[in-house]
Amino acid sequence: MNTRHRLLICFALAAFLPGHVTGQAIPVDQSYDTARDLFNMTVDTPPDPAMLARGQAIATHGAGDVQSCITCHSVGGQGDGSGSFPRLTGQPAWYLDKQLDDYTSGARPDDLMTTVAQSLSEDDRAAVSAYYASLAAPLRVARGQLPVNEIQKGAAIARAGSPEKGLPACTNCHGPDGTGNPPSVPYLAGQYANYMVLQLDRWRRGKRGNDFGGMMSAIARKMTPEDMRAISEYYERVANPLTTKDPE
Amino acid sequence: MARRLAKTDVVIIGAGWTGLTAAYELSHAGKRCIVLERGSYRHDADDFAAPKEHDELKYAVHHAHMINTRTETLTFRNNSNQRALPMRRLGSFLPGVGLGGAGIHWNGQLWRPLPSDLEMRSHYESRYGADFIPDDLNVQDWGVTYNELEPHLDFYEKICGTSGTSGQMADGPREGGNPFEGPRSTDYPNPPMRQPIGPTKFGEAAQKLGYHPFPMPAANATKEYTNPYGAKLHPCTYCGFCERFGCGYYAKADPIICVYDQIKNHENFEIRFKAQVLRVEKSDDGKTATGVTYLTDAGEEVFQPADIVCMNAYGLWNAHLMLVSGLGKPYDPKTRSGTVGRNYAYQTMAGVNVFFDDQVVTNPFMGAGALGTVIDDFNGDNFDHSNLGFLGGGYIACTQTNGRPINYQPTPDGTPAWGADWKRAVRENYLHHASLTVHGSSMATPVNYLDLDPTWKDAYGRPLLRMTFNFPENDRRMADYVMGKAHEIARNMENVKSTSASNRAAEGSDYSIVPYQTTHNTGGTVMGTDPATSVVNRFGQMWDHHNVFVFGAGLFPQNLGYNPTGPLMGVAYWTLEHMKNDYIANPRPLMDA
Repeated sequence: MNTRHRLLICFALAAFLPGHVTGQAIPVDQSYDTARDLFNMTVDTPPDPAMLARGQAIATHGAGDVQSCITCHSVGGQGDGSGSFPRLTGQPAWYLDKQLDDYTSGARPDDLMTTVAQSLSEDDRAAVSAYYASLAAPLRVARGQLPVNEIQKGAAIARAGSPEKGLPACTNCHGPDGTGNPPSVPYLAGQYANYMVLQLDRWRRGKRGNDFGGMMSAIARKMTPEDMRAISEYYERVANPLTTKDPE
Repeated sequence: MARRLAKTDVVIIGAGWTGLTAAYELSHAGKRCIVLERGSYRHDADDFAAPKEHDELKYAVHHAHMINTRTETLTFRNNSNQRALPMRRLGSFLPGVGLGGAGIHWNGQLWRPLPSDLEMRSHYESRYGADFIPDDLNVQDWGVTYNELEPHLDFYEKICGTSGTSGQMADGPREGGNPFEGPRSTDYPNPPMRQPIGPTKFGEAAQKLGYHPFPMPAANATKEYTNPYGAKLHPCTYCGFCERFGCGYYAKADPIICVYDQIKNHENFEIRFKAQVLRVEKSDDGKTATGVTYLTDAGEEVFQPADIVCMNAYGLWNAHLMLVSGLGKPYDPKTRSGTVGRNYAYQTMAGVNVFFDDQVVTNPFMGAGALGTVIDDFNGDNFDHSNLGFLGGGYIACTQTNGRPINYQPTPDGTPAWGADWKRAVRENYLHHASLTVHGSSMATPVNYLDLDPTWKDAYGRPLLRMTFNFPENDRRMADYVMGKAHEIARNMENVKSTSASNRAAEGSDYSIVPYQTTHNTGGTVMGTDPATSVVNRFGQMWDHHNVFVFGAGLFPQNLGYNPTGPLMGVAYWTLEHMKNDYIANPRPLMDA
């Protein structure tokens, strides 16, 4: 059984944690996990307080040679907005843990994160993933203005795809409002446009291929750089309670 | 008088799998093709995207992708002593409308016929003796053999990016595939789908009993894939919305993304939507068709002249169009003469519900239309029929198609139909259920047929098609026998708490057009080598009107134990090959009557 299978599929609204389980808890059948990655990826236990504490310690102080996560991803997990460091706050724990596993194995090569992930133990990767999944959303920061037609173009592809390009809509998998489909599909709403453009470009060029069945590469290869920018700028501006909250 | 339009080379009735494929192949052969589709334009990207498409009430219950029975339907009766009544709501089967036709809402279960299926009469007579087939079954050879169809079956699998495991290659058998299939020239283009726990346990139990489980061939891509026409498909996400829904993921093959997008800009291709074909017109001597008359969106009747007429509507509607147009000779059950409407057959469905204990969690919402494990040991003539008292058979499949909230509420036998106990049973069993399907063949008989209704008319003033059908005794016995085998496997599956079996064709129960069974209507316009028992020759060309070519499951002399789309598309490519390479250069009857 993979560690990931032990993680709670956090919908990760901090208000529900700790002690409140969201979603249905489903036991894992151990004898089938390798052949059926898509199935039974949900789990039966919430992260315990010790696991979250361990995750917080790694995030803020690092572990061994690993520098602290907050150096780049910031204390709230919101990154710095440059796009080099994605927002982690509230992403599904399963998804985050899988990314760390894939950095470790080389399935998702990255100059920075490969070394970081390889220096963490399997349990530490799970703990820090659970921690970031459980973090409360930071306050919303105003985004820059873009021409309306650019946003509309991004919104149109995101929500209705493109028959001309043979491009399916992002909403099919990432949810009606881009808030993700836990445990395996990350949110896009509120994620940094620069980060998403970089990832789409990596999917397209085969520099990243750690998803199910090569799905994202197939999609990115049907996009122009302009499509990628428009979709990403659109999603960065979509409100998502997992990533930001409005000032009260 | 209908307004006469400029003549075209080919007019094609219907924009589903066969119609769009005919348009693709004939346009590339240099013929100007006009496709007439009575429904509207639609497209996977913007019309079938989630979450909008994942509306079970709209699409699965209210049938938004299917025909509107208020304008067009059929009448039905179980036997010729009854008065037929119109089908006012869809039930047993679900014909489509609009670009892509029923190819939009299919499940993608993509099969080949067995070699013996295509030579059914010859095969049974040579194996069991000349008297083996009873007189009350109209069992016929197709007039085309497996070896002739194989390249076309193979090509269509590539059009769909089919996923599966080969069982028989030219140089011998392969582990993990269907050992009974005819030899394949190439492997499936994509690896098989991943099997959920229910089908896995079914496969284990079947194997222990000495049967041969394999993953069902699925027209769902399992990785990024480009088909021979250039269409780019994406891997399936197992979203659980195949049957009755369009696929917004570019994963389930359909006629829009696999064919239409690749032909729509060709100079020889034109499609007209909201064009309701009323009849095919004949020349004065009756030997050829001159074109078709149709109703435009504006309500104007127009005549489209053409050198060649391709009939690519749903099988039942092709038969209807022939009958209202006076094409061919209508079948008369009293004299048992005539051919149009003869040999209508259906599909004989039975099943077993399996309820697991809490150790097995099935997560039924992760599904796909053709996701499952199958055995073919009791299909066709893959088993000895000597002392069984019936012909034919069916596959037994454990599929996981969906866990949708309205229609997926499996409960064990004895559960009340409503109330607190029903709710508790749904809660307790939703995650612990698997379903075994017996997908059985259907034999044609002299008393099951299609003709025109003497009373009821459609919205255009034409008599409705009348269906007269009940399950033949042969098929009732077949379904009971194969269901018994399915039940035996179910009882041998691990972690099973209870099972319950049911046979739609059970002794004493008439075929009902109300509960959904399957959209696999076949026959009525069958193919063959004898004009006395077939409407079209072995090339799909009408015996009586050589420039009319007919496509679809209406060509099946009797129905197979398989889903019809694979076999009918193999026949479609076979027909198109002979049109392109022979008929177009020298239009004439391709066979002597």
